[in-house]
Amino acid sequence: MNDTEDTAPSNELGEIGLVSYADFVSREPFTFENGRIIPEFSLRYETYGHLNEARSNVILINHALTADHHCAGIHSLQDRKPGWWNNMIGPGKPIDTNRFFVVCSNCLGGCQGSTGPTSINPETGKLYQLEFPFVSIRDMVRAQKRLVDHLGVSKLYAVVGGSMGGMQVLQWGIEFPDFVGRLLPMATTSQQGSQAIAFNEVGRQAIMQDPEWLQGNYAEDGGPKVGLAIARMMAHITYLSDKGMDMKFGRRRRNEDINTVFSFDVDFEVESYLRYQGQSFINRFDANTYLYFTRALDYFDLKGQYGSLEKAFEDLKSKVLVVGFTSDWLFPPEGNREIVLAMLRAGKDASYAEIAMDFGHDSFLVESPDLYKLVRAFFSDD
Amino acid sequence: MKRASEKRSVDMQIILDWVEPGSRILDLGCGRGVMLEFLKQKKSIIGMGVDLDPSKIRAGVKKGLTVYQGDLEAFMGSFPDSFFDRILCSRTLPELSHPSKIIHEALRVGRHLTIGFVNHGYWKNRLGMLFEGGRFINEVYPNQWHDSRPTNPVSIKEFEYFCSKEGISISQKVYLSGDWKTPCRIVPNFSAGYALYDLAR
Repeated sequence: MNDTEDTAPSNELGEIGLVSYADFVSREPFTFENGRIIPEFSLRYETYGHLNEARSNVILINHALTADHHCAGIHSLQDRKPGWWNNMIGPGKPIDTNRFFVVCSNCLGGCQGSTGPTSINPETGKLYQLEFPFVSIRDMVRAQKRLVDHLGVSKLYAVVGGSMGGMQVLQWGIEFPDFVGRLLPMATTSQQGSQAIAFNEVGRQAIMQDPEWLQGNYAEDGGPKVGLAIARMMAHITYLSDKGMDMKFGRRRRNEDINTVFSFDVDFEVESYLRYQGQSFINRFDANTYLYFTRALDYFDLKGQYGSLEKAFEDLKSKVLVVGFTSDWLFPPEGNREIVLAMLRAGKDASYAEIAMDFGHDSFLVESPDLYKLVRAFFSDD
Repeated sequence: MKRASEKRSVDMQIILDWVEPGSRILDLGCGRGVMLEFLKQKKSIIGMGVDLDPSKIRAGVKKGLTVYQGDLEAFMGSFPDSFFDRILCSRTLPELSHPSKIIHEALRVGRHLTIGFVNHGYWKNRLGMLFEGGRFINEVYPNQWHDSRPTNPVSIKEFEYFCSKEGISISQKVYLSGDWKTPCRIVPNFSAGYALYDLAR
């Protein structure tokens, strides 16, 4: 009975530091799931750590709806914030760049450097905008496969991701069963539920009802900024939790003077926070990509696509750990458990662990010693 | 805790003898996965475990085992009849909330059910109550009542009555003395410290 509780990190925690991105261009035509073909595409990606000689230490990170390829490190010393999963990825961190070669790319259809609605259609010389083919989670994964092939990798050690990233992780295991050693999806679902579709639809309507949307044909410096900001504000609420928001903002007000004249201006801290989230979002995200990606989420339905979840996971060969978060009401623990139960019924090697955290859906992005220990444990059994 | 783990090893050995090589086994209340790992090594089982405790689940993940954090009743409810060759319920029995329901459910999803428990009818347990007016504190149960989980103590006599009443067949059973090592055959409800059963529908 000698099993020590935790894996001591082999190295001191460190930072990746300065990183830069690269662009992979695939000159081969790409056929989308809906049949449309584009002559070529590019994916913007970053890598951290070193590829070992056997090329067996690659971990692919899949990003969520509005994140990108920049998941760790900083681009310049002036950066206010590091990459979106910097707490998870780095030297001595749970996804240890001393051990692993980490790859993360911006999804196909994205707006952070990969080909998407904001790219120029080489066939017309104009922006794709809504001419861009409808992109599915499976399309994102198939595009990533080309990147990974290009990097000379014949098998991934693991694919990791939360939320929409978790969907891609599942799709990786289904689409390329021999290519993936381990799957680590978090805070995700095998089927976008009605509530999640409903929230996405409100976000899309906010964008599409904005007069500046112009049926998607807005100029590069224009666009439905008000609609996109509102979509983001609302979506952001679904990433948090009642308790989490109360802890963070409570009823705190900017103007504590009780005699302040009643007004509709920003007063509560939470309003100020959401407005800030909305404003900063419009500077970095494209409204059409938001429409495409939320639609990719809505149509994600492994049960519907394969007949049953057991069928979907029939060919799976990877070792799986699914992680759910207690306060996640967007993709609740239940849906995460369902994935594991179906895999087990299909005779696969799948484990389920749940992290008790108050930060809602975004818990997987927040510092959590419990999650770190779990990720280390999953990557330390061989 | 040396003696506790030594005690443990005998019941593990008995369960090992009952297990078919390569069979599909579910361990209810798998803890840190010690039993699953042992059976995996010795009999190449396809094993999985359920437990509520996140740190124990993590220990299972670290060992490379297939483990599921959650309620064992809900877990079993997600599987078709006879999905498992064997269900293990070792030491967990007194902590189950609806023992009857869970035993029947385990016999639905599993072809065999192995149950092991501390016999509450063991003479020392009786004397403890008679003379001390309270329960024994030992290596296996080191905690006072206020620091332990709710338990529902059961004796050999009570358990076997339950099985006959419910029509559950006992295909094998082993009684161990107070040391949990030596087999014990005479008046087991009085002289056995631990009992192991192999049940079937």
